Amino acid sequence: MEFLALVWTFFKIGVISFGGGWTVVGLIKAETVPRWIDEAGFSSLLAIAQATPGPVALNAATMVGWRTFGLPGAIAATLAVIAFPLLAITGAGVIGKRLRLDPIALKTALKTGTLAMMAMTLYYLLPAPPFDPILLGIGLVSFVLVAFTKVNPLLVILGAGAVKTVIEALQMHV
Amino acid sequence: MFFGISSLTIGGGYAMVPVIGSALERRGWTTEEEFYELFAVAQSFPGPLALTTAAIAGKNLAGPRGAAAGVAGVILPPFGIIVAVAALLGRFGEEPHLRAFLAGAGATVPGLVAAMLVKLAKGRKWTWVRALETLGLFLALILVPRASLPLFLGGVVILYLLERRWNS
Repeated sequence: MEFLALVWTFFKIGVISFGGGWTVVGLIKAETVPRWIDEAGFSSLLAIAQATPGPVALNAATMVGWRTFGLPGAIAATLAVIAFPLLAITGAGVIGKRLRLDPIALKTALKTGTLAMMAMTLYYLLPAPPFDPILLGIGLVSFVLVAFTKVNPLLVILGAGAVKTVIEALQMHV
Repeated sequence: MFFGISSLTIGGGYAMVPVIGSALERRGWTTEEEFYELFAVAQSFPGPLALTTAAIAGKNLAGPRGAAAGVAGVILPPFGIIVAVAALLGRFGEEPHLRAFLAGAGATVPGLVAAMLVKLAKGRKWTWVRALETLGLFLALILVPRASLPLFLGGVVILYLLERRWNS
């Protein structure tokens, strides 16, 4: 039953994933934490998903699947998350001809939806107490770097990992 | 062709789309304009952009078989890498330096998402109606996350109708 629940969860996530992977990350968290993965596990999963090739939502599905049911879970969750997008592309020709939609209005509606989903993602990812001042600082610095400079986000992720490793190593020796 | 696209996936997510574009051009499969048209179509589908772009490009080039090859090319390399990383983490995940590294890397994520949100918000024309719509949908989503699928789909339909009524 848990296996089916996992597949159904990622299928639903696939249906909503307009506008790229990050919009659904908040939803993935709402659906999977703490049922299949804990808070700390989820945040390192996201860092790994972002730092490795491939869309974030897809990578997150693979990892949550792996954590819960090993290789079969990883395969099932990955296929579940892409199922609807692929069906939509295959079926688009047929539906598109029957329904005459106004493309500009549709695009604007999807943009609003995407922004709201992105805000939901941010809401779910904001750090909760007890706060670790170093981690909070890392979050703020990475926001400024990525929002207002052209630094590659991958470098920010790896750099933050290195900084935290060094700080902890120093703390252990003091 | 399968391997052609599959080798492109290194580079990840959003960054991948221009890479796919130039590779398709280099091989003479699409022209630049054709690719941008295709990319615009891909954006209006649910699903990661890299995936939808590859599927549509594959479909246009070689029908269903092309689409399947494009999709396999986009999925398989990251799948392999993630499984490898997850397996390694299972074995070495308790190692203190690695834990610290992952904690630091994970701490960037809210910052990255906030930055993406700022960029998205900057990139659109705001009106009072749109700001209220966005806020309303956001509140509904965080109040009832379990119902996010019907909320999002219903929301987009309502937004579409509102948009036609007031803005066009």
